[in-house]
Amino acid sequence: MEIHDGDGLRTTVFFKGCPLKCLWCHNPESISFSPQYARFKEKCIGCGTCGGALNGTTEENCPVSAIVGYGTEYESGELVDLLMKDADFFKNSGGGVTLSGGECLAQPEFAVDVAKRLYERGISVYVDTCGYVKRETLERIIPYTDVFLYDLKAIDPTVHKSLTGRENELILSNLRYLSENGCNIEIRYPLVMKYNDGECEKIGKVLHGLKGIRKVKVLQYHCFAASRYDALGMENTLPDTVTHIEDVDRAVDILKKYGLNAVNGVKDI
Amino acid sequence: MTENREQLVAFAHACALEGIEKDLGVFEVDCKIVEHLLDHCEIIVPMENRFFVKVNCGGVQHSVIRLRKAPFADITEKNGLREGRSALAFTGDWDFGHTCAEWDSVISLGIFGLRERIARYSDKYTDDAERSRFYACLGAVYDAALRFIQRAANEADAQGKSEMAEGLRHLAIGAPTNIYEAMQLSLVYYTLQQFFDGTFLRTLGRLDELFYPFYKSADSEFIHELCVDFIREIDRLKVLANLPFALGGTDVDGRTAVNELSYAFLSAYRAARVSNVKIHLLCSDDMPRDILEKAMDAVRNGDNSIVFMSDERIINSLIKLGEEERDARRYHVVGCYECGGYGEITCSCNARVNIPKALELALFDGVDVLSGKKIGLDPNKNPESFEELFAEFVRQLEYLVDCAVLETDSRQIIDGRLHGGPIISGTYTSALEKGADIYCGHSAKYDNSSINALGLATAVDSLYAIKKLVFEDKSLSLQRLKDILRSDWAGEEVLRLKIKNRFAKYGNDNDEVDGIAREIVDVLANSINGRKNAKGGVYRLGTFSIDWRHPFGEKTCASADGRRSGEALSQNSGATFGADKNGATAHLTSVSKLDTEQTPNGTIVDIDLHSSAVVGKNGLDALVATLKTYFDKGGFAVHYNVLDTEVLKDAKLHPERYPNLQVRLCGWNVLFSSLSEKEKDEFIARSMRA
Repeated sequence: MEIHDGDGLRTTVFFKGCPLKCLWCHNPESISFSPQYARFKEKCIGCGTCGGALNGTTEENCPVSAIVGYGTEYESGELVDLLMKDADFFKNSGGGVTLSGGECLAQPEFAVDVAKRLYERGISVYVDTCGYVKRETLERIIPYTDVFLYDLKAIDPTVHKSLTGRENELILSNLRYLSENGCNIEIRYPLVMKYNDGECEKIGKVLHGLKGIRKVKVLQYHCFAASRYDALGMENTLPDTVTHIEDVDRAVDILKKYGLNAVNGVKDI
Repeated sequence: MTENREQLVAFAHACALEGIEKDLGVFEVDCKIVEHLLDHCEIIVPMENRFFVKVNCGGVQHSVIRLRKAPFADITEKNGLREGRSALAFTGDWDFGHTCAEWDSVISLGIFGLRERIARYSDKYTDDAERSRFYACLGAVYDAALRFIQRAANEADAQGKSEMAEGLRHLAIGAPTNIYEAMQLSLVYYTLQQFFDGTFLRTLGRLDELFYPFYKSADSEFIHELCVDFIREIDRLKVLANLPFALGGTDVDGRTAVNELSYAFLSAYRAARVSNVKIHLLCSDDMPRDILEKAMDAVRNGDNSIVFMSDERIINSLIKLGEEERDARRYHVVGCYECGGYGEITCSCNARVNIPKALELALFDGVDVLSGKKIGLDPNKNPESFEELFAEFVRQLEYLVDCAVLETDSRQIIDGRLHGGPIISGTYTSALEKGADIYCGHSAKYDNSSINALGLATAVDSLYAIKKLVFEDKSLSLQRLKDILRSDWAGEEVLRLKIKNRFAKYGNDNDEVDGIAREIVDVLANSINGRKNAKGGVYRLGTFSIDWRHPFGEKTCASADGRRSGEALSQNSGATFGADKNGATAHLTSVSKLDTEQTPNGTIVDIDLHSSAVVGKNGLDALVATLKTYFDKGGFAVHYNVLDTEVLKDAKLHPERYPNLQVRLCGWNVLFSSLSEKEKDEFIARSMRA
C-alpha cells in the first residue's frame, strides 16, 4: 500500500515479464516472465540451511531473507480477494489498485480478468503500461480502467530502440488510440541525463494536441537497483549518469511550454 | 510571612506525624497543611510568564504521602507476592495521579465561585455535623486559595506585570470575565491542585469547549497570540511525559464540538514550537475534514505531539463499563490515552500485568525462569495440543490479574490513611453532595482502578510460533523448545532468526495471528472490566505498555517469537518492532481487530512513516484517509512518528543544528537530543524501515 503510482492509497500489483528491456530498469526482477530468486550475499550469515553458498531454491528456509523469491502465481479470484483486504482504505482515500510491472498487459487474460473483477466490486483500477502491447488488449481493458499511467521514453525510433530494445511505432499509435477513445492518461517520462534528455522537446510536441493527457510526470533517474541486478545474477545495465532534481525542473519547464500539465515526480507524488 | 521549602516541608511533616500519632482524619490534616502552604509559600514571577506564577511548594504533599506510606511497605510481603512482583509478572499500587478536575465548574465558576458553591452546600446540610465539618475544612482551604491568588496579584504588580495582576485580582473575587482570565484560571487551578494539593492533574481538559464562552471572533489575532503564550507556559512547566489538553470530540447530543478555538489551538501549537505539550484530538465521524488535515499537516512536519483518538470508541467503552451515557459522553482523557467518564477518578496506572510472563509460566510449570522462583500456578497437565497450551496460558494470565488486583486492593483500601485532596475534591459535585473528599471519603461517582496489560504482540507472536513449530509442523518438541528458551537460544541462532524473520507475525493483517491477539484481549477484558475494586468502583483494562516495556522485558526470559532474554517487550498494542512488514494499513487493520471498546483505560498503536511518504497533497490525503479508515474499522487511538533517516543521523552527529527535533517516545514527545545514544540508534533504524 502506498501513495505513489496514482491517486489516493493504492495497492500496486507488479506483474512479472516485460517486452522491453530498458537500460535503466529499476525493477530488474520484473523483466523475466519466470519466477526468479535473488541472492543477497551481504545478508548471508553462512548458516548452510540452503545447502550453502546461497544455493537454495526456496526462500522459506533462509532465516535472514538473503534468498528472496520474485514471482508468485495467483488465480485472479485469489488475487482480487487479497487486494480487497484494503478496500476500506481505497474507499476513504479515493484510491484503488494499480496494475503495473513489468508489463501487466503482457498477460492479457489475467490482467483483464483482475481489472474486471475489481471494477465489479467498485474498486478503481489504474493500468501502468509501457504501451508495447496488442491493441486488442487495450480495447478489452479500457472499460475497467480509470487512468492509464503511460510510459514515454523517447520519440525518435532509433533512440528508443537503443534504450529499450524495441521501436516505438506501436507505443505511439497505442497512445493515440487511448487518447482518441476518451481515456484518462498520465504520461511517465523517466529522465536519464545523456540518454533521453534530448527527447524532451519531441515528447512535448507529440503530446501537445493529444486529448486526455491529464498530467505528464517527469521521473528522476536513480540507480538504487544496482544491488538487485547483482543479486539476480543479471548484467547491470544501469547507465552511469546522474539526473539532478534541477534537470527534472528544466524538463518540466520545457513540457509546460507545450501547454502540458507537467510535474516534477520528486515533488509531486 | 513566606517560608522556604525546608520550612514548608517541616511544617507539613510535623502535621502529618501529629495526625498519625493522634489518629486524626487525614483529610482534615491535609486541609491544614494545604492552607499553610497557600499562605506561606514563596511566589516567584518569572519575567517570561504571561499567565501565572511559580511557587516553592511543589512536591511537599508528595513527601507527606511517602511518609504516611512508610508503615505499609510490607503489603506485598503480607500478600505473599514478593517474588512474583520482583519478577515483574505484575504490579499493583496506589494512583493519586492521573486525575481530571471537573473542569467545566472550575472555568465557569472560578476559584471564587467554587468557594461560594461549598458555602451553599454547607447551608444545605447545616444539621449534619460530619458534613459540616467537611465543608468548613474545605471552605478554609478555598479561602486560603483566594488569599494566595490575591498575594500572587500583588507580586505580579510589584514586578510590573499589570495584565497578569489585573486578571488575578479579578479571579480573587469572581469568575473569569474574558478569555485571558479563563486561560489564566486554567493555570491557576493547575498550580493549586498540582503543587499544593499534591494530586497530579493529568489533563487541562477540552480547552476549545471550556474557553469558547469567552471567545469573540473579532479578536482572532489576539486570541492566536494568547493561545501561543498559553501553550508556551504549559511547556515551561516541564511536566514529565507532557501535560495534555484535548480538542474536538462531541457534545452531549453527539454532534461535533469542534469550534474556532480548536483551530486556533492547533495553529498556536504549530507556532509555539515546543516539545512539552500533548494534544488529544478527539475524532468523530462528523468532524470537519479540514481540522484533521490541519492536525496531520502538523504531524508530518514534525509537530507530532498529537494523539488521534476515536470519540465513538471511547464513549462506547465507558458505557460498556457501566457508566451513564451522559457521563460517558462528557469523558476526559488523562495522561497518555486513558479515558474516564464525567465524575470519574480515573486512576489509570494502578497495576500492570506482563502478558508474555503468563506464557513463560504456562511453559515452565509456574516458574519464573530468570529467578528460578515459583511465582505462578501449579501446572494443570502437560499440554498436548495448542488449545491446551493456550488454556494453560489463560489460566496463568488470569492468575496474574488476580495478583495485580490483590496488590491494588490491599493498598487502595487504605487510601484514606494517605491522602486527602481538598482542592480537587472541591470541584467534584459528588464530593460536595456526599460531604466527603474523593480519596479518604471515596466520594467520586465512579471510583475506579485500572490494570494495563503489556507485551501483547510479544505474547501473540510467541504463541503463534509455538503453534506452528510444535503442534503443526512438529519440527520441535515442546520440551526441546523449552530448553532452547531457557538457554536463551544458545546454539540456535539460525532457528531464532528464522522465527524472527520468516514466521507470520501480528501486525500484518493475518487473521490467524491477529485472532490470537483478539482472544487475549477478550480474556483480559472478561477478567478485569467491571470487576469490583476495594473502593466501591470497578477495574478497567488498558493495553498499553509505554516505556515499562523495557524493565518488564529485562525480567522476562527468551520468548518463542525470537526475542532474546531481557530484550524489551512489544510496544503498546502494535506489532513487535520490525515485524510489521506489510505496511501501515495492514498494521492498523490488525490492531483494529482487537475489541477496543473493552479497553476504556486506553490502547494505542505507534505508526512510523518515512517523510517521503507523506509529502504533497496526496500524502496529506492519504494520512487522513488512513486515519478515518482505521477508526471506521474499530481503531481506538493512534499516533505517528514521521522519520527521515538523514535528518536523524545528522541530528545525532550535530544536535546543535536540531534544537527542536522531536520524536514520539511512546505516550509523549521528547527532544531527539535528549535521548540516549542507544535510543537514537533505535529511531534511526526505525526510520530506515518506515
